Amino acid sequence: MNPGIALGPQLSPPSPGIAGDEVRRFVLSPRCSLTPRTARIFIASIAASTFGVAALFAVQGYWPVLPFAGLEIGLLTWAVRASMRKGQERETITISEESVVIQRHGGQSEQHSVFPRHWSKVKLHAPPTALHPSRLILESHGRVCEVGRFLTEDERRSLAVRLKQLVGNVNESPALR
Amino acid sequence: MAHTHEAAHHADDHSHDHHGPEKGWRRWVYATNHKDIGTMYLVFSLIMFFVGGTMALVIRAELFQPGLQLVDPMFFNSMTTMHALVMIFGAVMPAFVGLANWMVPLQIGAPDMALPRMNNFSFWIMPFAFTLLLSTLFVPGGAPAGGWTMYPPLVLQNGTSFPMLIFAVHLMGASSIMGAINVVVTIMNMRAPGMSLLKMPLFVWSWLITAYLLVAVMPVLAGAVTMLLTDHYFGTTFFEAAGGGDPVMFQHIFWFFGHPEVYIMILPAFGVVSEIIPTFSRKPLFGYDAMVYATASIAFLSFIVWAHHMFTVGMPLAGQLFFMLATMLIAVPTGVKVFNWTATMFKGSISFEPPMLFALSFLFLFTIGGFSGLMLAIVPADFQYHDTYFVVAHFHYVLVPGAIFGIMAAVYYWLPKWTGHMYNNKLATWHFWLSTIFVNVLFFPQHFLGLAGMPRRIPDYSTQFADWNMVSSIGAFGFGLSQLLFAYIVWQTARGGVKASAKVWDTATPHGLEWTLSSPPPYHSFEVAPEVK
Repeated sequence: MNPGIALGPQLSPPSPGIAGDEVRRFVLSPRCSLTPRTARIFIASIAASTFGVAALFAVQGYWPVLPFAGLEIGLLTWAVRASMRKGQERETITISEESVVIQRHGGQSEQHSVFPRHWSKVKLHAPPTALHPSRLILESHGRVCEVGRFLTEDERRSLAVRLKQLVGNVNESPALR
Repeated sequence: MAHTHEAAHHADDHSHDHHGPEKGWRRWVYATNHKDIGTMYLVFSLIMFFVGGTMALVIRAELFQPGLQLVDPMFFNSMTTMHALVMIFGAVMPAFVGLANWMVPLQIGAPDMALPRMNNFSFWIMPFAFTLLLSTLFVPGGAPAGGWTMYPPLVLQNGTSFPMLIFAVHLMGASSIMGAINVVVTIMNMRAPGMSLLKMPLFVWSWLITAYLLVAVMPVLAGAVTMLLTDHYFGTTFFEAAGGGDPVMFQHIFWFFGHPEVYIMILPAFGVVSEIIPTFSRKPLFGYDAMVYATASIAFLSFIVWAHHMFTVGMPLAGQLFFMLATMLIAVPTGVKVFNWTATMFKGSISFEPPMLFALSFLFLFTIGGFSGLMLAIVPADFQYHDTYFVVAHFHYVLVPGAIFGIMAAVYYWLPKWTGHMYNNKLATWHFWLSTIFVNVLFFPQHFLGLAGMPRRIPDYSTQFADWNMVSSIGAFGFGLSQLLFAYIVWQTARGGVKASAKVWDTATPHGLEWTLSSPPPYHSFEVAPEVK
């Protein structure tokens, strides 16, 4: 049978305080089950069978199979690299007494947004069409920032619940706990 | 070099709704969501199922009685060729890609497919490919009529339709490759933490192995049809005996693709049945690991049995023996699967909901197709059966109650999950019984016709074959009309109905991550705060 797996969000647990200030930090990352090594093994295993077959025909004189095999393995390699590149994205949400800092790291770029914690709102927007993903938005003073686009629906919901506990409306000013 | 900039922006500059999914037709044309693309694949395959089915009914109407009644022989041959191409590349394969799109991310806990834009592209190639293929019905000389296997030199006599056929096959192949790469990368790179390979649902496993097969053999098909094209237009002689080429080599190359292709069409159905039988037997699947290894063994063996399709071309005795024994060897891992499904049901608390009915029908009828395959594997017997209706009966038993019943079982199993509605159980049960009865009325008599010597791909036949042909044609129309019920059930369920729960099959024991999600999957309102792990 297929044993059940709990849907664990790709969030690191909130970290303890830093330098005396109480801080909560969430690190979000997309799924990435392949390591560079296993990715190479995976591509090599497919390439070996595909090129093996193509070479078999090529040595018989039926070489046009070979370029198609090359194209295909090229596409596979690109696909694996693209998927792994996406897997390197990170979003860090750092919540301190005064602010919510959202940092995005991905590939060669880094983005940084700061929101006032007590004036910010966390909203989980329902999609206009069922079956599409919801969108988790942090907004304040007319500025918006989306987080957790790459999470599963359950993970995004879980994160929204936790963020709503920590990032409050101005009248509520929830304590960090 | 990394750089820093302010990401937050003014709402009036970038309304977040602006980034949401497109509305109306744009939602489908620009779709990147795996569920939308899965739905498009499934709807497309259903349409192609009816197109290919209509062609089958033309064939069976002509064969209802001996003599030429309705169509001329050339058009009849076009119908047999086009029926196969449409059903294989347009109905069965896209249906399984659609199921993979819907279920693989849900079953491995991934938010979407690995490459959503390529996913969109691989789907939208399909309508163009089939428009091109079907438009050959209207070109001078008619549609391809040399059989879906495209053997030279016959296929080269097709006229205007020939290059269109080749281009259409290339497009279908490109679509399949992109679909397979997307599935395989999703499975390998986007599994939820803790979801190791040997914890994956068997449907995911069967698709992983299918994707390996697709990636390995599609270049062979692409190369083969390209060589046909260059032989015809650019003066090469790969398959031209007068220029030193070998037309029989095309058959070897084609079937090197073609036999794994058979398994590409059946392995995902094995995966579906392996999900359904434990659920409605209320027992865990017997021998999960053995099922995985059996699937991998079948896939491996599929590469070394191709010549059993062409024993009659003449080959050395050692070759005949090798391909005969290798073919028979496939019965071992297939037997492991059949016995494991049966053992799963043994002492189970079985209930007979529509998906289980189709899975059971699959189990019985696919096994019949497997046994007739074993008969065909025996070289001296194959010399008698080759190119007779016995072969037609065999592969239709594998593909219709095998692959297509597997797809229908999957639709009845997961449709409430996809739509959030339960379908009309009584209608679905009617659909099952009509399909199962008529599929046997349709194909079982073809065994008798083949054993009596009726050749395949002929529009007219000797009067001694009249009775069973009439029975078979009645079965064909019964089966074809029953499928209208299937389309109605799907349409009715998509429009509304009794709400389905998250687990859908509340009294059974469905396993897998998809059943932890609500039906349909992303319900965004959360009444109960989920626990953050």
